[in-house]
Amino acid sequence: MTEVAVPIADLPQRSPIWFAWQRFLSNKAAVAGGLVLAVLILMALFAPLITPVPPEAQLFLTESLAFPSAQHWFGVDGLGRDFYTRIVYGARVSLSIGFIAAAFSVVIGIPVGALAGYFGGRLDWFVMRIIELFSVVPPLLAAMLLGALTRGGYFTIVLIAALFGWVQVCLQVRAQVKAFREREFVRAAQALGASPWYIIRRHLIPNSVSPIIVGFVLAIPLAMMLEASLSFLGIGVPPPTPTWGQMINEGIDYMFFYWHMAVFPTAALAITVLATSLFGDGLRDALDPTLKGR
Amino acid sequence: MLPYVLRRLLSVAVTFFVVSLIIFLMMHSIPGGPFDANDMPVSAAVREKLMAQLGLDQPLHVQYLRYMWGVLHFDFGVPYQSPGETVIQLLSRAWVPSLVLGGLGVVIGAPLGILLGMAAALNRNTWIDYFASTVSTIGLTIPVFVTSMLLILVFAVWLNWLPASGWPQPERWILPIAAYAAIPMATYARYTRSAMLDTLSRPFVTVLRAKGLSENRIVFQHVLRNSAIPLVTVFLPMFIGTATGSIFVEAMFRVPGLGAYFVSSIEKRDYPLEMALMLMITFMYCIAYLLSDIVYALINPRIRMGGSE
Repeated sequence: MTEVAVPIADLPQRSPIWFAWQRFLSNKAAVAGGLVLAVLILMALFAPLITPVPPEAQLFLTESLAFPSAQHWFGVDGLGRDFYTRIVYGARVSLSIGFIAAAFSVVIGIPVGALAGYFGGRLDWFVMRIIELFSVVPPLLAAMLLGALTRGGYFTIVLIAALFGWVQVCLQVRAQVKAFREREFVRAAQALGASPWYIIRRHLIPNSVSPIIVGFVLAIPLAMMLEASLSFLGIGVPPPTPTWGQMINEGIDYMFFYWHMAVFPTAALAITVLATSLFGDGLRDALDPTLKGR
Repeated sequence: MLPYVLRRLLSVAVTFFVVSLIIFLMMHSIPGGPFDANDMPVSAAVREKLMAQLGLDQPLHVQYLRYMWGVLHFDFGVPYQSPGETVIQLLSRAWVPSLVLGGLGVVIGAPLGILLGMAAALNRNTWIDYFASTVSTIGLTIPVFVTSMLLILVFAVWLNWLPASGWPQPERWILPIAAYAAIPMATYARYTRSAMLDTLSRPFVTVLRAKGLSENRIVFQHVLRNSAIPLVTVFLPMFIGTATGSIFVEAMFRVPGLGAYFVSSIEKRDYPLEMALMLMITFMYCIAYLLSDIVYALINPRIRMGGSE
């Protein structure tokens, strides 16, 4: 009797997370993207273990612009620095800016979206007008102005990316909160005397957790692209800190003679952004199957 | 309908002026001015005279009001980088390469994207579908300067088929146009696929099939037409997007267009040119969103009745 009962009793216990996980696993591109992203994160975290030389040290001046070899996998750059080391450390800048900016976007987007969605009315109108301002100014142009205003730098780029990243998270949370505001369990909580703050924190934000996760992951590649674009234009993270955008910009001058200077940073940026986006898209489809293919 | 349009028009006008004010203030709070010793070594007296002549000695609100008053009369001032012409003359000169390359990029990329999206939707979950979604993900995620770099490396450096840079000769247009075309192609492939799948799942398609209509007629006469609305509304914002794309594409391919002025006007504190470029882009986005709102309202009566959403 018990042997039969066990699997039957097990079935209803499968949580929505289990189903989401199965859906995610069935999406090969997303799994591949996630794996590549994991490798890149490990590479960035353990950069000093992967390459012994520091990224800013000009240790190989005599071999400047040397092509890739057994000693220097990606060659040596124009200032005598090991290019493989610079690419690996570039992952640190790119990924950390992506993750921190996405975290800030979520931190701003959740409360603003939840309050606008819950209270509606004037507050909602005001928030939507601000978002409208963001929609008519291309982020890149505003970021260029802000970059010039603040003279670039690591933390400024994070803030600029967050300033444009929160809008998407805010809209998602707002839509979710609006949809749940009229549900019975929220009405019941209100009837029991729960404060709006309690309802938002306890009921509405937990119900928005999948758009928040998706918003977070999809904000990462956008922030990385913004950082690379600004660094490419020379108003991002200043040298000697190795960033891929900067290296691509330097690579243009060398590309006809020293192809390695252009190929490796371009490939690194393309692979990272693509892997993160594929992972985020897969996560979105897994967490909210109704949105598939949008 | 008219009250709705007027309300949207008012809202867009307010947005435009708020953005212009924010940009103006941000621009002037960047440290340094156009006649600082490094960029333009002139004596203090000359600099003062220049500043007075250009009205830069006035308080900011006076400068703003003067500038916007000029804008309303299509007077954008004289660019400090090239004082021999007006901002309008400079823009209409620099606009040509950007418009030709960006425009051709959209005109070539959008139909390709629509075809790709159609092929993907009609052959769902086959290799065509996977190919289309790979192409659209790559086009949508990878920054345009990376695409440009890859194009140059493959077609100019390795294969040596095409020239990498330059402007007037048409064979030099091919690579920048390909770089521009990637984004509209990717966008349209994705939108067309999802819009068509959405339409194909509607009951009326089943009815048409039951009626015995050929699959070709169903697709071209009914499904495509019903899926066209989202495709029309993304067109304008995407077209304007090529203007910001030009910053990178023109830097990569050394095209003397609008792109370089976005960066140089900020670097040189060329306030009139910078303001004109920013306002131009903002204005075009405002108009694009206004038009797509109106198109939506024409199609969907619930929007113009309800009002609040």
